[in-house]
Amino acid sequence: MRHHEEEVMGTIVTFDLFDDRGFHDPAVEDAFASAADFLHQVDEVFSLWKSESPLSRWRRGEIDLIDAPGEIAEVLERCRVAVEASGGWFDPWSAPGGVDPTGYVKGWAAQGALRRLARLGTRGAIVNAAGDVAVTGSPSGTDPFQVGIVNPFHTSSLACVVRVRDAIATSGDYERGPHLFNPFTGDFTTQYASATVCGPDLGFADAMATALVVGGDPVMELIEDLEGYEALGIRRNRTWEITPDFEVASEVAL
Amino acid sequence: MKRAIIFSSATAAGLAGVLSFHTAPVSLTLGSVGSTAGAGTNGAGSPATSSPPPTTTPPTTVPPTTTVAKKATKSKKSTSSPTTTRPPSTTTSTAPPATTTTVATGIRSATGELVNYYFGVLSVSVTVTGKKIDSVKIGQLSDGGNSRSQQIDQMSIPILEQEAVQAQGPQVQSVSGASYTSAGFVMSLQSALKKLGV
Repeated sequence: MRHHEEEVMGTIVTFDLFDDRGFHDPAVEDAFASAADFLHQVDEVFSLWKSESPLSRWRRGEIDLIDAPGEIAEVLERCRVAVEASGGWFDPWSAPGGVDPTGYVKGWAAQGALRRLARLGTRGAIVNAAGDVAVTGSPSGTDPFQVGIVNPFHTSSLACVVRVRDAIATSGDYERGPHLFNPFTGDFTTQYASATVCGPDLGFADAMATALVVGGDPVMELIEDLEGYEALGIRRNRTWEITPDFEVASEVAL
Repeated sequence: MKRAIIFSSATAAGLAGVLSFHTAPVSLTLGSVGSTAGAGTNGAGSPATSSPPPTTTPPTTVPPTTTVAKKATKSKKSTSSPTTTRPPSTTTSTAPPATTTTVATGIRSATGELVNYYFGVLSVSVTVTGKKIDSVKIGQLSDGGNSRSQQIDQMSIPILEQEAVQAQGPQVQSVSGASYTSAGFVMSLQSALKKLGV
């Protein structure tokens, strides 16, 4: 197993490769470098902390969308799909200060980095970007990856373990305090203590997890209706709910 | 029928645009990367370059579409009960449990793997009696003198009251919903518990 850490996007993104075969170090380092480069490129385009990033400049009206890197329009289009699918509970256009697709970009970038790692051909690989996790393959060769979900009421333990086949994202304000914008109330109130969404697209899962923690039960109903996406919602009164195909590998314990 | 969310291969064109900074455009699949089983079948020690590249569809100009179809029936959701369903803790008897595997009794400690966290490395030490966790603390922490990590150093980690359900649960390869620091804590704790066979 090989591990790499990359400081980017204001956090540390980790790469993990799973295989018993010996892979030549240069090939592994190349794969890590390729994945890391991709993350840095995304950061250069999308970072709102960088005043001269294309996204920042476009938001200020200095450049037109058509003159900006194509990824911006593509991400915004994907965000529109997420706004609609989430019933408006995820809405980058409602953020105070201007459109902010950050909630989608982190997962989208992590999954793009994973594709670069996957070219190496290891049995399994994981990218974890501050809790947005994308996986491919299997750690053992037979069983799916298993990812722990932090207990929002006791953050040094796990609420449960879930089998993940593509991607998982968790949202909540238990670590940083209120920071998730509620498009319907205009403040930072959230209905759930935490929310987790699994599915094929990590950016979309990230967006839906945010919508779910902000909007609560109504969003749970919407996610039930989505093919391929499953969710866990943990309420502030320590009750919880999962969609039928959410693959828990352990009891939920809060 | 459930509603499908489809991101079309216009995305592949976008990603190829980003990647072309460095290399020739690479076509990519969207959504699941798919199984890597079967790739690189030359046996142990073969270089990674022998793996076939992932197969993909070339980018098209079809704009992203979503198909929307209402679900015909609604499945039952699983929900929690407001009170815990965990069985009450057992007595303090040190007799081995009635399973085929025996668990060492008495007070034992182990320190988990060193894991990286944002400011340095840490490991977690755990003390158990049988399968019950008695205490959890930072075993080792190096932080370059950063003030935030001093906080972690001095943090009193509460004794885990519940039966070590998560600890006895399956091993995890990653953690979702945690900042980098606390994810490292959980993973080191898990490795310490694994060493103790808890």
